Amino acid sequence: MTPGGSPAPRAVGIALILLGVGAAATSMGISLDQYGRWGARVFPLAGSLSLIAVGAAELWGARKAAPLDHRHVPAIFALLLVSFVYVWTLSAFGYLISTALAAPVVLWIFGVRHPMGLGAAAVLCPLAYHAIFFELLGVFPPLGRWFDLLDVLGGY
Amino acid sequence: MDIFAGLATVLSDPILLGWVFLAAVVGMIVGAIPGLTASAAIAMLLPLTFYMEPLPALAFLYVIGKSGRYGGSIAAILFNTPGTAASAATQIDGYPLARQGKAGKAMKTATLSSVIGDFTGEILLILGVAWIAALALKLGPPELFAVFFAAFIVIGSVIGKSVTRGLASAALGVLVNMIGLDPISSTERFTFGSFDLTNGISLVPLMIGIFVLGEVFAQIEARGTKTALVPDGDDAARNSLSWSEYKPCLPHVIRSSFIGAFIGMLPGLGSAIAAFVAYGEGKRRATNSSDWGKGALEGVAAPEAANNAVSGPSMAPLLTLGIPGSTIGAILIGVFLIHGIQIGPTLFLTSRDLIYALFACGLIGILMYGLIGYYGAALVGRFITRIPTQVLYPIIFLTSFVAAYTSRGNLFDVYVMVTAGFAGWAMRKLDFNPAAFVISFVLAGGAEETFRQALLLSDNGMMIFVTRPIALLFLVIGIAALVLRVRGRRRQARDHALEDA
Repeated sequence: MTPGGSPAPRAVGIALILLGVGAAATSMGISLDQYGRWGARVFPLAGSLSLIAVGAAELWGARKAAPLDHRHVPAIFALLLVSFVYVWTLSAFGYLISTALAAPVVLWIFGVRHPMGLGAAAVLCPLAYHAIFFELLGVFPPLGRWFDLLDVLGGY
Repeated sequence: MDIFAGLATVLSDPILLGWVFLAAVVGMIVGAIPGLTASAAIAMLLPLTFYMEPLPALAFLYVIGKSGRYGGSIAAILFNTPGTAASAATQIDGYPLARQGKAGKAMKTATLSSVIGDFTGEILLILGVAWIAALALKLGPPELFAVFFAAFIVIGSVIGKSVTRGLASAALGVLVNMIGLDPISSTERFTFGSFDLTNGISLVPLMIGIFVLGEVFAQIEARGTKTALVPDGDDAARNSLSWSEYKPCLPHVIRSSFIGAFIGMLPGLGSAIAAFVAYGEGKRRATNSSDWGKGALEGVAAPEAANNAVSGPSMAPLLTLGIPGSTIGAILIGVFLIHGIQIGPTLFLTSRDLIYALFACGLIGILMYGLIGYYGAALVGRFITRIPTQVLYPIIFLTSFVAAYTSRGNLFDVYVMVTAGFAGWAMRKLDFNPAAFVISFVLAGGAEETFRQALLLSDNGMMIFVTRPIALLFLVIGIAALVLRVRGRRRQARDHALEDA
């Protein structure tokens, strides 16, 4: 139902139907209320059935697919991996060490290659963000379960 | 008369004026950076406003939204890249003017038109919003649910390239909102045994992910491309704007302001649609229509007035019904909620002073970005070309993590933000509609509540939605919008196929 065609209509249609079926099955597992009414199930089920319906419409209307540019997919997945690892390291090593590691990696992914720049980011980024958010705004920082530099520095 | 009290409140508070000024500058810069939008800036700065008083917090984000819409025109004229989707129509005539060495003239036209459009929208909002709120107070749960239903359909089907994928985005938004405990029976829904999911998905990390981190992912694909500034020349005569040059633009500006204000009141349509409708209508009525597209000042004035006129009226459904008319509105809901302000028709009873002071901030913000833009837009353009994107986006990446964490001090929210960021990028890539997803996520709670309240009131089950005329009217509006849209797209697809043949 798009004039120029959207990318991967069949794959998207099938994915929407599968997602809708899964969500509908899960919706049917939602407990009924004390009077045996479907109250809590209605909206999740309506959303799930809508997904199945639009998935079917997507499949039915699938004609010419627009091409997808895959050139940058490795870099995007690299950034996604860095993102998840960064959150995990926040919980394991606290904010300062995690950010000191993440900042140069992300700069490198975006094309910064200068060693001085990467080194400066590793020092300045954690300091600047810590100062603004955890000192100035008074937000309690995420403390590392395994090790936290703040324990050594006596920040918190 | 409340607005005069609001203006007095704002003008007598230098700190508040400082926030409005800062917002005007920040919004303009962010809007002018290709790829970054006012929505992204607002989502990223939202957690900072948790630590502010409600009025400065709301005013800061509201004015960023206004100024950001205007800032998009700077990139459209100077870089041939619209800073926001709304300024794509400005680019059609703005860039040819810049290539003729009249970038300054084009930007002054854009500034004046944006200011007139934005003022018109804001004044209409101020005059009409209390009246709409009074009407909304008379609506019961069946009517409100029907309004929500129409909003879901319009938001899902009207914006974006694909109707099915837009509707799928809206359905996904509803499903994600259902995660957590049922608000009435506290039954677990879609939690899969996870304790973190029982609290539901928080709006702030979701929006930071979709609008900010999603854009960082998207910018990886633009690595290495340089933003080139069109040489604006130093010819003062070419870049000054005289009254005789701007006078032919005025009828277009006035018409487009009303087009933008009308479209702004309809949930989900937004400023991009307003700009293109105004451009099309302006060209149709212009005496010099053959010049449009080749560098006509009227072609800059019409879309700029329309896309800025959307800003004020788009607040009307948000403030009176709790239905965000735009992504910026959806984000502002977060600020209202964080500060314990219940939006909806009763807002004008409980927080009337605050709302009119916010409108006053809007008016002052328009004036500020108008003055800064008129005299400094070229400077902002030059400043943006000096920002290295390979450094800017990593900084935005790191900021999005700390901002998502700050909202509740919870690392689970940061995982949500990362997932939403990737989903936001994938949605854009596959022609889904991130705005419809977020707005539906915001609407789903209210829609479910009114739906269940309506059923409790009803003796005939679902028939209550058909037997109440206003509810029926909105249901019909929703379905008619979908049918018209599908027919329109089919006609376009057929024309496209004929062109290919």
